[in-house]
Amino acid sequence: MKENDPLISELANIVGSEHVITDPTSLSVYECDGATVFKALPDVVVFPTTAQDISEIVKIANKHNVPFVARGAGTGLSGGMLPVSGGIIIALNRMNRILEIDIANQQAVVEPGVVNLGLTQAVQDDGYYYAPDPSSQQACSIGGNIAENSGGPHTLKYGVTSNHVLGLEVVLTDGEIVEFGGAVEETPGYDIRGVMIGSEGTFGIVTKAVVRLLRKPEGYQTLLGIFETIDEASNVVSSIIAKGIIPAALEMMDHFVIKAVEEAFHWGFPLDAGAVLIVELDGIKAGMQQQAEQITEIFNENNCRETRYAKDEADRQQIWKSRKSAFGSFGRLAPNYITQDGVVPRTQLPKVLRRVAEISEKYDIPIANVFHAGDGNIHPIVLFDERDSDQCERVEAVNMEILSACAEAGGTITGEHGIGVEKMDYMPLIFSPEDLAVMATVKAIFNPSGLCNPGKIFPTAESYAKLGR
Amino acid sequence: MPNSNQLHEDLIQIVGEAGLLLRSENLQPDDQRSCYTIDGIGPRAVVLPASIHEIQEVLGYAADSKLSVIPAGSGTKLGIGNSPEQVDLVLSTSRLDQVLEYEPADLTVTVEAGIPLAVLQAKLAEHGQYLPLDPPYTDRCTIGGMTATNSSGPSRLRYGSTRDCVLGMRVVQSSGTVVKSGGKVVKNVAGYDLNKLYLGSFGTLGIITEVSLKLQPLPEIERSVFLTFTEIGEAVNVASEIARSQLLPTFLNLFVNGAPLTESPEPCLLIGVDGHPETVEWQIDAVKTIAKQNGAIGVEVYEGQRQQELHASMCAFPEGESAAPIVISRANLRMTDVAGFVNTVVEVNDASTWQVRAMGLMGNGIVYVAFSDFPDGDVPMQYVADTVANLRDAATNVGGNLIVESAPTALKRQIDVWGPVGRSFELMKAIKAKLDPIGLLNVGRFVGGI
Repeated sequence: MKENDPLISELANIVGSEHVITDPTSLSVYECDGATVFKALPDVVVFPTTAQDISEIVKIANKHNVPFVARGAGTGLSGGMLPVSGGIIIALNRMNRILEIDIANQQAVVEPGVVNLGLTQAVQDDGYYYAPDPSSQQACSIGGNIAENSGGPHTLKYGVTSNHVLGLEVVLTDGEIVEFGGAVEETPGYDIRGVMIGSEGTFGIVTKAVVRLLRKPEGYQTLLGIFETIDEASNVVSSIIAKGIIPAALEMMDHFVIKAVEEAFHWGFPLDAGAVLIVELDGIKAGMQQQAEQITEIFNENNCRETRYAKDEADRQQIWKSRKSAFGSFGRLAPNYITQDGVVPRTQLPKVLRRVAEISEKYDIPIANVFHAGDGNIHPIVLFDERDSDQCERVEAVNMEILSACAEAGGTITGEHGIGVEKMDYMPLIFSPEDLAVMATVKAIFNPSGLCNPGKIFPTAESYAKLGR
Repeated sequence: MPNSNQLHEDLIQIVGEAGLLLRSENLQPDDQRSCYTIDGIGPRAVVLPASIHEIQEVLGYAADSKLSVIPAGSGTKLGIGNSPEQVDLVLSTSRLDQVLEYEPADLTVTVEAGIPLAVLQAKLAEHGQYLPLDPPYTDRCTIGGMTATNSSGPSRLRYGSTRDCVLGMRVVQSSGTVVKSGGKVVKNVAGYDLNKLYLGSFGTLGIITEVSLKLQPLPEIERSVFLTFTEIGEAVNVASEIARSQLLPTFLNLFVNGAPLTESPEPCLLIGVDGHPETVEWQIDAVKTIAKQNGAIGVEVYEGQRQQELHASMCAFPEGESAAPIVISRANLRMTDVAGFVNTVVEVNDASTWQVRAMGLMGNGIVYVAFSDFPDGDVPMQYVADTVANLRDAATNVGGNLIVESAPTALKRQIDVWGPVGRSFELMKAIKAKLDPIGLLNVGRFVGGI
């Protein structure tokens, strides 16, 4: 698109030409998110600073009948921000101010581009934190978290983004600016805030959010259990939950991941272990030791080779850094990877993980596993080389079989990454045409022109053909 | 519209004799239908379908016969909302009352909507688990009703409201189409989160027939600390200090003009703690320390049977069982605005001839206010309406809101029970129009007359 295109000059009038990108080299930075196998170039990227800017940009997009999509930090894992039909990317990086920190009311008002961890850092000296902690929290934005309804390791105890957002200011797809929810826990009427969260940027653009802040727990106990097999470790997961203990986090890494993480971070993970479980307890210190002992017992009953404890806060942080940065270390394993995100009932974990191993063997595609075991939210990392077309075809079959296994086990195809473009084809595995029709009806209310983030979430005729339906 | 006899016959064709409660001229107060009477208007028929298929048939029949349908569970919250012009059919899901899937080790359960909370809790307790919700009418309310009204009780401080516990549901739309939202696992972001649309929609968007829920292990022990003060301000200070501490109370409730069980006239604070015995003991000690520093005149720890009675009495507050007129409103505020709002409540009390009681969920910024014991049972409508308006102003002026949950019909006709919704109302109207295009379900009773 040329700089003298009327659309471009109108956008430049709003944000200034220095905040509009149109040259192909710079645009290529915006061609994908964390799911790098999916690529599409926008025609233009704009960097607004206010809701009013965005409202005007959206009105211009409508006038020119051009698609538009919001983009946070680009750390998404399902291609949710992918400009599949080109058009405008509304990049929210400059809207990164924390507008208000209200410790007395345990809430903060933030712009969408605020980095998740940045909010926690801003309130930690007051003894507070923002609970949803996706692994990408050092980079990902709260606006992106809201669009995807992001989770993280500690959602086992504290819930997902939707449980922590009280109010939203949104630019609707016609440019109108409206608030949903507020600074109080409930407001009368339909919970549009709740429907907006997790709508993957297809209902409008969040320009402000009121989020809850939580008091930092008095104490933590972080345990590491080292097991010979995934099976033993997944039995531990079920046993802990069945004993009535809900840890703050309950994470598993398999041997592939242990190796990649250890080579990158040198925490001391044993390279020959079959699986490592990270169990974190948090809350009031009194009584915590007894729970830790109960967990150690469950470890031992399941043939645990060794139990380690985080020695101090620095040690604990190092464990979490290793776990959360695991994704960064997969580059060591293969040129490309796709991270699956299925969820199964916790009791089905051993069975489904065995199935994942079989699928890996069947198609000769290595699969690593690092995931939120306590939630039953698995992350099979499908490793491949995108330059090998035969591998790519097998990867597609692998994805299909893994997600089918999750659906058959009574689960779902995504626990926190969203559908985006990546999993559209698999939606019929869990939703009937009638279920999807209601979603389409609701989408048509919020996004009647379809210009706001098109080509996401909904399966196409091709998807049904692929599934043989 | 069919006449009564015709209606009777037609509905029996669909749901059988056992599925129908008819309007009779001699309505007894303890008649099962009385709980389905809305603002004094008895329904032409109460239908209790025994299957999803029967629900579809009833909806089809109602649509063809131009009858309105008000969805219900056991009817405990049917009074919330605008007064209906007339009530044709109340459709209760109370005969759909089975547990469909329960694998304790998954800590999730899927039930039919009509199962009473108390029945479900008893089944879960056999496995050391529970649904951590304690809404009003805990003994009678159904899971479907709780979901449709997003109800909650004092324990929402620690465990959240129904919104936080629902994983998925099955809903019959007014067209008869059966759809599901969400799923059965604890994390799920596949597609739009339409659970949130049905939660708290008061039956205006569909009939909820099945709900999947996230459970909690039963705590090892539960205790309540009952603190009494001479000044409300002292109680509020203690509550603020606890809310901002590292304590993890289950509930943190302020009572003004009448506490549960004791009917103590002094301001009281009830603090619940549960979990591991050591954790609980530590918290009780910490509460006592804070209380002493802030002038508590009474400190009592409740356990066992008495603690359960206290909890039940607190959940029931302020909804009495008596037939005397009562006005109950609920304000949603920021925590720091509660003290000011409570002061306004006290001023109202001082100026009025009736009883004004308040319960504040101090960690959530929610305050229930009840007006009762009107002299000679006579409600001075205009004066009460003005008072409610003043309270609403006090809430909205600080960014909160106020909903009137219960009031005599004559009063409800003078006020807007929901209060203003703001600019999101156009979207709400559109949602109702698209999801219930024939305008069948609980019409006119939700915000802005939706």
